[in-house]
Amino acid sequence: MAELFEIGKARIEVERLLAAVADPATGATVLFLGTTRNQNAGRRVTRLEYEAYATMAKREMRELAREARRRWPIKRVAMSHRIGVVPVGESSVAIAVSAGHRDEAFTACHWLIDRLKEIVPIWKKEHFRGGTVWIGPQQGSPEPPRRLRVNRGG
Amino acid sequence: MRVQLRFFATLREQLGTGEERALRAGTTVGALWESLVREQPGIGRVRVRFAVNERYVDPSHQLAEGDEVAFFPPVSGGG
Repeated sequence: MAELFEIGKARIEVERLLAAVADPATGATVLFLGTTRNQNAGRRVTRLEYEAYATMAKREMRELAREARRRWPIKRVAMSHRIGVVPVGESSVAIAVSAGHRDEAFTACHWLIDRLKEIVPIWKKEHFRGGTVWIGPQQGSPEPPRRLRVNRGG
Repeated sequence: MRVQLRFFATLREQLGTGEERALRAGTTVGALWESLVREQPGIGRVRVRFAVNERYVDPSHQLAEGDEVAFFPPVSGGG
């Protein structure tokens, strides 16, 4: 099965990621799903909206997968990030990792989602009851509007 | 030389998706950003990251003909 690193507007199809990491030499597959939840920092979230620098984002995801394979004895990695509107309860990101054994699959998958959130060029705008806010340290000003101050998304 | 600018997230909302620019040879990414801030001071409040041809670079990176230069705030992907 070919590698799968994708950015798209359609709902994430988990089965495609699992198929992409399937390998008869592996005994463990870990799947992480990041999902829009209905509240964040005290706000009632109605939906999230994602934007990506898609070509760079796919390049960075491939780089992360290569780095993970250097660090741990894992077999395959697949990553998918949705852009556009992602309603409450639906997944915005999916990462699948297959390996000989579960420890390295869990460890690598955890590392991959952490690194994705740090460096892959994708941005999240939260729509909540009463307004919208870009998530993340977007403002360098020492005193952004208090109500909209959010240090971490996801 | 000519370079293609691209903006994302808050910067896209303020500056549009991007534009082509003519620059003096040897212009750095940081100098280009400073000139953008002079044109539109409001964007100076945004913490910015730079990428050239889809790779992160420092402000001291010198631009070359045909480069694609992206400006964006710290990323916030994931669930």
